[in-house]
Amino acid sequence: MNSTLPPTTALARLIASGELSAVEALAACEARITATDGRVNAFTGVWHARALAEAQAIDQRRARGEALPPLAGVPYAVKNLFDVAGEVTLAGAKINTGHAPAAHDAFLVQRMQAAGAVLVGGLNMDEYAYGFTTENTHFGPCHNPHDLARTAGGSSGGCGAAVAAQQVPLALGSDTNGSIRVPSSLCGVWGLKPTFGRLSRRGSYPFVHSIDHLGPFADSVQGLALSYDALQSPDPLDPGCHAQRIEPTLPGLELGVDGLRVGVLGGHFAEHASPPAQEALALAARTLGACDEVLWPDAALGRAAAFIVSASEGGSLHLDDLRTRADDFEPLSVDRFIAGALQPAAWYVRAQRFRRVYRDRVNALFDHWDVLLAPATPVAAPLLGSEWLDINGTRHPCRPALGLLTQPVSFAGCPVVAAPLWPGGTGGLPIGVQVIAAPWREDLALRAAWTLQQAGVAHLNPPTALS
Amino acid sequence: MTDEQTLAYVQAAAAALELPLSPDRAQRVATHLARTAVLAQQLQAFPLGPEDEPAEIYKPKVLSALDE
Repeated sequence: MNSTLPPTTALARLIASGELSAVEALAACEARITATDGRVNAFTGVWHARALAEAQAIDQRRARGEALPPLAGVPYAVKNLFDVAGEVTLAGAKINTGHAPAAHDAFLVQRMQAAGAVLVGGLNMDEYAYGFTTENTHFGPCHNPHDLARTAGGSSGGCGAAVAAQQVPLALGSDTNGSIRVPSSLCGVWGLKPTFGRLSRRGSYPFVHSIDHLGPFADSVQGLALSYDALQSPDPLDPGCHAQRIEPTLPGLELGVDGLRVGVLGGHFAEHASPPAQEALALAARTLGACDEVLWPDAALGRAAAFIVSASEGGSLHLDDLRTRADDFEPLSVDRFIAGALQPAAWYVRAQRFRRVYRDRVNALFDHWDVLLAPATPVAAPLLGSEWLDINGTRHPCRPALGLLTQPVSFAGCPVVAAPLWPGGTGGLPIGVQVIAAPWREDLALRAAWTLQQAGVAHLNPPTALS
Repeated sequence: MTDEQTLAYVQAAAAALELPLSPDRAQRVATHLARTAVLAQQLQAFPLGPEDEPAEIYKPKVLSALDE
């Protein structure tokens, strides 16, 4: 069996109406994973017993006549840095295979379970989330479902690939410098990096405490909003969670961009966008009625500071293992981890002091604009193993350069929807557009994303490499 | 820093943190650190005053707990 499930919202309706049972939906999902994952390598674990128990519980509740929660019976998977009770939290690392299994589900996994979703497995990622390509030596590289020779992006590459391969309609990932938006862009799926501090990170393996975010991937804007709304909850036990209340976004989606001021980011974002990325941006801008170019303040410095903070916090987090077992780390990132651990403190402190000034300058932009647009990646998916990337005639180291357009935005903490567009000149590959709003205004980014979807310019495409 | 100074810094900082490095690895780490040094120089040129505090502020007790 190699059929695919209907989109999230249709699937939830079918299960709620009883036309399809949650157990049947799970069987279709698992069959699709079995049929395709030998080529994609999105999954590092499929947890059948747990998934079956969750699906049966939904079917039993329906049989009893209970009202079902919004994601009842919808299968999903998580980047393997989320704690799942009874499973080892790999975080993409061979070192972690020696850790004890998690005692409890991560906070967001608990939220998904409360919303009725069915957890089917764990997803591939760059080791400890330090990368943009999911070229994981321990668990194998994740392949792009639209061209298996190419990267799915990273570090949440398994999330982007699993949704693009129609293995699951929803996935949960993390984004520190672009790790939701880069794989969304390269795999052609919807992704949401919420405001820094919006969603609890409790029970997820950290990379950079000062910048880590968690968020959903989905097959549609409605799926993104449904899952994001389900994930929201204040959590005083995560010191990085600043949300005070749940602010649902689904009810307002269809307001679209009426009355919103939409601008297009130039400067750093235009300089590092290839012609296909510029084409994707121009199409999104036309659709949303955006004409004016806007300059994001100090974008290159924001990226530089994000790079320094990430290297320093990431490196120091793993210092003990770097001292004693560096050869067990991912060969592609271990030297960067060490370099980060050795950085002068003055670099790190200056980056954190800059961040406060930067935040105020970025926030001032939103006195004049509601939504800002930029490409999510400079280019479409590079071939696996690429060392260098040419962007408008300048040669960049490929792996870090994939985050050039996402890092300045996440360092400010703004919410971003990555919308999947399909420009020419890429051989049929997607490039995402970042739909950026002011902190705490995920609703506006999702409304603009909904307009792009309604106009037919942003959507998933079937994974031709798997047909 | 020159290439030699960067490599010497890497070796000294690694020794201070008791982090053993082979000569090959020290060289590769120095290459990465030199790239980051360029970014750090750019940040150094950004004007910051004594009043510009870091973004992350330590909280001795969360406000919601104080309100209870």
